Amino acid sequence: MGQGGERRKFLAHAVQGVAAAACGGVAWNALLVQQVHAVPFALRPPGALAERDFAAACVKCGACVVACPYGTLRLAPAATGIPLGTPHFVAREEPCRLCPDIPCAKACPTGALDREMKDINASRMGLAVIDAENCLSWNGLRCEVCYRVCPLSGKAITIDPHPRKLSKHAVFVPVVHSEACTGCGLCERACPTAVASVRIVQPSLVQGHVGEHFRMSWKPEAAPVEASPEPPPSAPKPAPAPPGKPGNAPGLDYFNSGSPP
Amino acid sequence: MTSLTRRAFLKSSVAASAAATVGLPVSKAVLAQAKTAEAGWAWDKAVCRFCGTGCGIQVATAGGKIVATKGDPAAPVNRGLNCIKGYFNGKILYGADRLTQPLMRMKDGKFDKKGPFVPVSWQAAFDEMERQFRKAYAEKGPAGVAIIGSGQYTIQEGYVAAKLMKAGFRSNNIDPNARHCMASAVAAFLQVFGIDEPANVYDDIELADSVVLWGANMAEAHPILWSRITDRRLAAKSTKVVNITTYRNMSSDLADLEIVIAPSGDLAVQNYLARELLARNAVNWDFVKKHCIFATGPTDIGYGMRPTSKFAYDAEKDIQAKELENTLDEAEAIGQRRKAGEKVAQKSRASAGAHWQITLEEFKRGLEPYTLDYAAKVAKGDPDEPMEAFKAKLVALADLYADMKRNTMSFWTMGFNQHQRGVWVNEQNYMIHLLLGKHGTPGNGAFSLTGQPSACGTAREVGTFAHRLPADMVVNNPKHREITEKGWKLPPKTLNPKPGSDIMGILRDLEDGGVKFLWVQVTNPFQSSPNANHWLKAAREMDNFIVVADCYPTLSGKVADLVLPAAMIYEKWGAYGNAERRTQMWRQQVEAPGEAKTDVWMMLEFAKRFRLADVWGEKPLPGLKDPAFPEGRLPDVLAAAKAMGYSPEQNLYEVLFATPENRKVAWPDPVAKGHGNATVKALGESWFVEKALFEEYAQFGRGHHHDLAPFDLYFRDDVRGLRWPVVDGKETKYRFVEGQDPYVKAGEGFNFYGGAFKAIPTGTLDGVTDPKPVPLPGKAKIFFRPYAAPVEQPDKDYDLWLCTGRILEHWHTGSMTRRVPELNRAAPSAVLYMHPKDAEKRGLKRNDTAWIESRRGKIRMVVDTKGRNQMPRGSVFAAFFDESLLVNKLVLDAVDPISRETDFKKCAVRVTKA
Repeated sequence: MGQGGERRKFLAHAVQGVAAAACGGVAWNALLVQQVHAVPFALRPPGALAERDFAAACVKCGACVVACPYGTLRLAPAATGIPLGTPHFVAREEPCRLCPDIPCAKACPTGALDREMKDINASRMGLAVIDAENCLSWNGLRCEVCYRVCPLSGKAITIDPHPRKLSKHAVFVPVVHSEACTGCGLCERACPTAVASVRIVQPSLVQGHVGEHFRMSWKPEAAPVEASPEPPPSAPKPAPAPPGKPGNAPGLDYFNSGSPP
Repeated sequence: MTSLTRRAFLKSSVAASAAATVGLPVSKAVLAQAKTAEAGWAWDKAVCRFCGTGCGIQVATAGGKIVATKGDPAAPVNRGLNCIKGYFNGKILYGADRLTQPLMRMKDGKFDKKGPFVPVSWQAAFDEMERQFRKAYAEKGPAGVAIIGSGQYTIQEGYVAAKLMKAGFRSNNIDPNARHCMASAVAAFLQVFGIDEPANVYDDIELADSVVLWGANMAEAHPILWSRITDRRLAAKSTKVVNITTYRNMSSDLADLEIVIAPSGDLAVQNYLARELLARNAVNWDFVKKHCIFATGPTDIGYGMRPTSKFAYDAEKDIQAKELENTLDEAEAIGQRRKAGEKVAQKSRASAGAHWQITLEEFKRGLEPYTLDYAAKVAKGDPDEPMEAFKAKLVALADLYADMKRNTMSFWTMGFNQHQRGVWVNEQNYMIHLLLGKHGTPGNGAFSLTGQPSACGTAREVGTFAHRLPADMVVNNPKHREITEKGWKLPPKTLNPKPGSDIMGILRDLEDGGVKFLWVQVTNPFQSSPNANHWLKAAREMDNFIVVADCYPTLSGKVADLVLPAAMIYEKWGAYGNAERRTQMWRQQVEAPGEAKTDVWMMLEFAKRFRLADVWGEKPLPGLKDPAFPEGRLPDVLAAAKAMGYSPEQNLYEVLFATPENRKVAWPDPVAKGHGNATVKALGESWFVEKALFEEYAQFGRGHHHDLAPFDLYFRDDVRGLRWPVVDGKETKYRFVEGQDPYVKAGEGFNFYGGAFKAIPTGTLDGVTDPKPVPLPGKAKIFFRPYAAPVEQPDKDYDLWLCTGRILEHWHTGSMTRRVPELNRAAPSAVLYMHPKDAEKRGLKRNDTAWIESRRGKIRMVVDTKGRNQMPRGSVFAAFFDESLLVNKLVLDAVDPISRETDFKKCAVRVTKA
């Protein structure tokens, strides 16, 4: 993939509001179910603009719906909270199959879907999150269906076995990785619990952000590209003192106030 | 409990990778509500319906329905866990299309082979069955009728079927789908130890330092055992897991060492290992000298195909011809100390299982060609792996086996068993463990896992095979027949001494008109048997009558003439025996829907329709040559029967099943604790059929190394199955070992007491030199078995290997699991796994549709280039659960000539873009 592709991949990330510093796995929690219901979230076709821009750019022509070979996409009917006539899909019913040639985006006449998108795996339609309380695998059953149906298994979903402790069995824990999850919904579709224990949600709803001041050094993305071979050419100057009133150095107020306990 | 578990779990989880789950406290009102709803539920212990692992479950019933199940926390096998199939045990009974009425092909109000299926009464169904059975029996004798049974039979079902066929109809044409599954394991057990079934137990997983998988994708096929191996690997850092396989599968995810071998490469690798053990002097000579001898057998044994091309499609004829004469390729020639290009007439086809004692020097001479270079060249399975890297893996494997300090468990399943040399390759593994003296002791052993829930408990122990009788006895041993005839109170010479047709034999008999009546029970052979086009056509177009008893519509039902609606597992009393000799029983929990009935009832009702005069007179048996019998005939035993007090007018139900002794076992019985009994109810009887027949059967094994506990003991609240032999109420963990096995005397150390094949001739690698049988009491045999090339290999027309098997989500042909919408959604159809470069070469990419064609058939499938199985270039894999794309149309029907087990793991296909 050329630089352009990388850039587009990056943009796709940024446009969809996925934090560039990807976190590891994301576990769903029951509290969020209610929030999701409160915020209408439509799974858009791959390559869609950010929601507000998408709604503005989409002319509701249905060309993407026609182009979808799996019948995944549909136009939103009235009173769903999703802007009327815009294309979306319901993962539990029919997920996105991640066609390598992306026929839906190619068919878009307006650019509401990125017609130039080359790598379907770079699409970010949503993010899979797992309800660890109800997930069969998290509870020790040998299920892992989400892992096996994931088109990016090993990247978007991995299995992280650890001891069960209650008995001499291991627990095969599925973990979602946002840096690879496209939000295609195949996992939500296939999850065998009565109500899916893995769902595709709006990433912003579940993703935290560590903060720029700290790097988790054990994670590959935190490692420097290459170690600095020697110290920087000139010694850094001491940091300038913060501006303050003359005669009022930082700390004076504290030292001079009251008497020690 | 739940929240505690969760918290404990979270603590142990890789905290960095998972955001903590908060979880709303379940409101007390909701909890109370749930408690009230569950108050009326009755819980009772039972067994999972699916694989050979044998997980214990608890079943809750309310209002005549199963309302919930749970993994049994007290069950030592699974401690409350289940796999995703087991999770749906309660749901498999309630598919929308459960069969509830007998269905028969009819035209103008009577049976017509070409007519459509029409619902009929049980009376009408039995009437036609009886008419058709009598017709076939009169025309062909006992060899013209057959039952295909199952490793999913309950013990009682298998016992009734075997007794009805062998003692009643005097036919040995009864064979279970277990023939497709572990017959090679059985033959190896009998040849090596003289007695069937493993010496070790699952507890050895927690004691092993090295776990070596040979052709066993336990991650999918034995999911809960895999949890135990994974836990062991996590808990003891020094534990190493090796996955020896023909393609990367889910078991590789845990493996420290993954060795991708070529089909049949296992034969070369194991001989290399044995050669290394000798070269490194890593042999436990004390053990070997005290407890073992060396042996070998013929190599020109054919491939279990038909000896004639009469029924072969034109494209099949080149492979079929190798059944009688094969040309050695270079690898096979070296491995058998012969010349490449030599044409070898397959002269020992009829005596494939013969074997004789050899010296240690001869054994070493046999191993001599199996150098690292040779083994690596023959066995390397991934063309993209450098030879040196592969050799390093073989050396690392040898290092693990040769390390005397490491407890070593080898596990295998279908990669070994479904193998044209399946018995050999099983025996090679015992060779390694016996040389090491690491067998049948805590943490050490060669462990044959079984695929089905009662392949051990029923198919093997009861003896529902074409050559077997209960408790490891066989039909062609006069002493065994005599014991069985006494036990069953039959006149001498009632039992037929000629082994019947195995499962592939029965299907071939349908095609050539040899079998005219077939009853299929608890299995779906027309989907699960290889080279399916032949048998599908034979079922519909030959003059025969096929009865299929099943709970759901299957392909086998579709090509049958009469379909009988069967009760499912928790709708009847039953017992299963798992791979570690653990016998587990369950009570009937609910009633079957509609007119569905238990298989036991069907057989007992059918038995009522035949008088002794119909079956115990003289019967033709073409091909019978036995000094004790007239040629080609079973003698009339009615006079002897009269002398024993029988009347020729008595029916088989009275004589074989509702005997005076069995009638004394009364129903109702306190052990039932109020549970029903569909068999007894439908019979309108007052004897406890399943208990009486279990106790009758158990008499054969008690005192003869196969002791089962009394029926009632298995139902005691604190019992979660018992591993036989159960002597004085005590189960046995390790067989053949002093202090563990009650049959081994003090001072013996080990005693491989099995009685089969325990007197054999003497010879060299090339043949017998002294035919006089030498007795070998208490000894195990270390076999030399050479490399043999697969009979069909990729060539320019069919350039890829095809392997087939199971997946985690579906059980066998999917007749139950595909009725569970959730499982169907999780794995809706089988896909063709292939290497991305192989796909690209054919203009294919992931999710494209392709044609897969072999010499035998052609199907369409969707291609997958990643996922659960990652194929090396040159190999493809397709699961067989999917009725809509019959993989078995492609598969070669070669079988191991000793065990007659099918090789589903290697044939040649070509793939083209559809």
